[in-house]
Amino acid sequence: MMETFAALGGGFAVALQPTNLFLALIGCIIGTAIGVLPGIGPLNAIALLLPFCLALKLPPESALILLAAVYYGSGYGGRITAILLNMPGEPSAVLTTLDGHPLAKQGRGGAALAISGIGSFVGATISVVLMTFLSVPLARAAVAFSPADYVALIAFALSLLGAVGGGSAPKAWAAGCLGILLAMIGIDSGTGVERFTAGSMELLGGLDFTVLAIGLFAIGEILLLIETRIRAEAAKLGQGQRLTLAEIIFCVPAMFRATGIGFVIGVLPGAGASVASALSYTAEKRLNESNGKFGQGDMRGVAAPETADNAAQIGNLVPMLSLGIPGSGTTAVLLGALLMYNITPGPLLFEQRPDVAWGLIASMYIGNCMLLLLNLPLVGIFARLLTVPVWVLYPGVLALSFAGVYAASNSAFDLLLAVAFGVMGWAFRKLGVPLVPIILGFVLGRMLEDNLRRAMSLSDGDVMALLGSPVSIVLWVMTLAALLWPLLARRRGVEARAPGV
Amino acid sequence: MTAGRLLGVLLLALAGLAIWSAQSLEVAFAADPLGPRAFPTTVALLMALCGALLLIPRGPDFDWPERLAAPPLLVLVLVSYALLLVPLGFLLATILLASSAALLFGARPFAALATGLITSACLWALFDRVLDLPLPKGLLGA
Repeated sequence: MMETFAALGGGFAVALQPTNLFLALIGCIIGTAIGVLPGIGPLNAIALLLPFCLALKLPPESALILLAAVYYGSGYGGRITAILLNMPGEPSAVLTTLDGHPLAKQGRGGAALAISGIGSFVGATISVVLMTFLSVPLARAAVAFSPADYVALIAFALSLLGAVGGGSAPKAWAAGCLGILLAMIGIDSGTGVERFTAGSMELLGGLDFTVLAIGLFAIGEILLLIETRIRAEAAKLGQGQRLTLAEIIFCVPAMFRATGIGFVIGVLPGAGASVASALSYTAEKRLNESNGKFGQGDMRGVAAPETADNAAQIGNLVPMLSLGIPGSGTTAVLLGALLMYNITPGPLLFEQRPDVAWGLIASMYIGNCMLLLLNLPLVGIFARLLTVPVWVLYPGVLALSFAGVYAASNSAFDLLLAVAFGVMGWAFRKLGVPLVPIILGFVLGRMLEDNLRRAMSLSDGDVMALLGSPVSIVLWVMTLAALLWPLLARRRGVEARAPGV
Repeated sequence: MTAGRLLGVLLLALAGLAIWSAQSLEVAFAADPLGPRAFPTTVALLMALCGALLLIPRGPDFDWPERLAAPPLLVLVLVSYALLLVPLGFLLATILLASSAALLFGARPFAALATGLITSACLWALFDRVLDLPLPKGLLGA
């Protein structure tokens, strides 16, 4: 306990440095803004910012503080669009539209925004406290993991992609495999053999993570957006009665329940904020069937999904930092960012780079306070972002994507690669293939192969060594269940539908 | 052709390519029992399996874009940008990129040009003046 407080204190020493405070604030503002804008999510934004962090030679802890602030800040932005326009700014804000927009139509948009902002803060802050105390024990447990255990753990994380991603499981798995194969491009570190380079000099060093992420998510998304004419509608905050203290207290139990649901779902790999907000909304609706007016503007229907959304986002960071296994697309990008700094998240991170691990955790306490302060009085300014025409916004995003890719590598070849991945991302989205597994596979693929080869070296090629410990056996059984579940579920005619991002 | 079947064929072709490419790897010495071939081959086989599962016809037809010309035109703009960035320099190339993209997003010509000019100038000011990042100077020398 005391140890944790001392470590957290050290983290605050890092997070309170003026540069890092400034970066956290910038990250919170960018995060809220991209949360508001439909079509641009935290994943695209982090992929866009990462090359600039590298080009500016920001130290890793500062870069992570900035990028993570964009990540958890986005959880505050999606609700604004959902409530005012009845259109989620982020996929995880879909449920917020159900009660948020009716409230806005009753002239109580301001109150709905306030309660969802408070909910976001409660969910995120309690989750950061939980993370503070859970991360190190989890990391300690994982220190004893052998390479074979890691193979099983990564296989489990990848297998979950099909079970919980929604849509078609074979498509998700195929995308994961493709991500792994993309990670194999370049010189094999074990033998020095060139793999999948097609003789290209530029590919010898392997694919650049930022090129893949910007191509798939930023350029691909814009290609998808340009297909349809998007109409922008004016947003109003509403002049109705402001949020009362009684209403806040009325929502407190719902917020606590949603935090619990959100955090647990977030820590589990595979499931993300969308699942968490959907579950917590449904739970509140069932629980309050007698005294609720869900669907017509119940405050709890706004508070619960927003609280769960932010709690899940923070929960998602726990396995990323402690085990080095990201559970969602955005945390995979954060992991990729750390790898580009030659920092491997995982059990040893808290011992080897306490400045990075604890600096990040401490900055999240500060960042969430900043976000609450930013979001309550300034919500009108963020809402005005919705009046920016698409033909100003997306050309700017494109220019920014390219400038970032070029600044990081100084290579026009990487720009062409980014366009190619953009086309691939667009085509895959059109074909119903989720893109998150590609990025997860890319980040985890090399780790999976390294651990597999290490395990085989240790056992002299005996495949049975992969089942050598109780941990690995349990994980493989869970993997098998995750692989079979979607096939069985479909046979029974269960069709799960979830947002594609 | 359903979207799923199209994808299945695509995945099978990709997996075939990957397997063929992995088998042609010449390994001088093996540092570990597995070598560089086995893992990618296994993953490609799994991908082929998923591709084969998708061949079973099911699901909707391929969803062609509402504005069929816009995505390919935008790709053309993006490729031109990649090729022209270094010779033209950041300012000029970005004006072209942002203006044409704005046009494709439905802006009027004058508004598109203004978008291009402002986007380019703002980004240049941010990157070159404030952040001091290397951008290609090109024709204008700036």
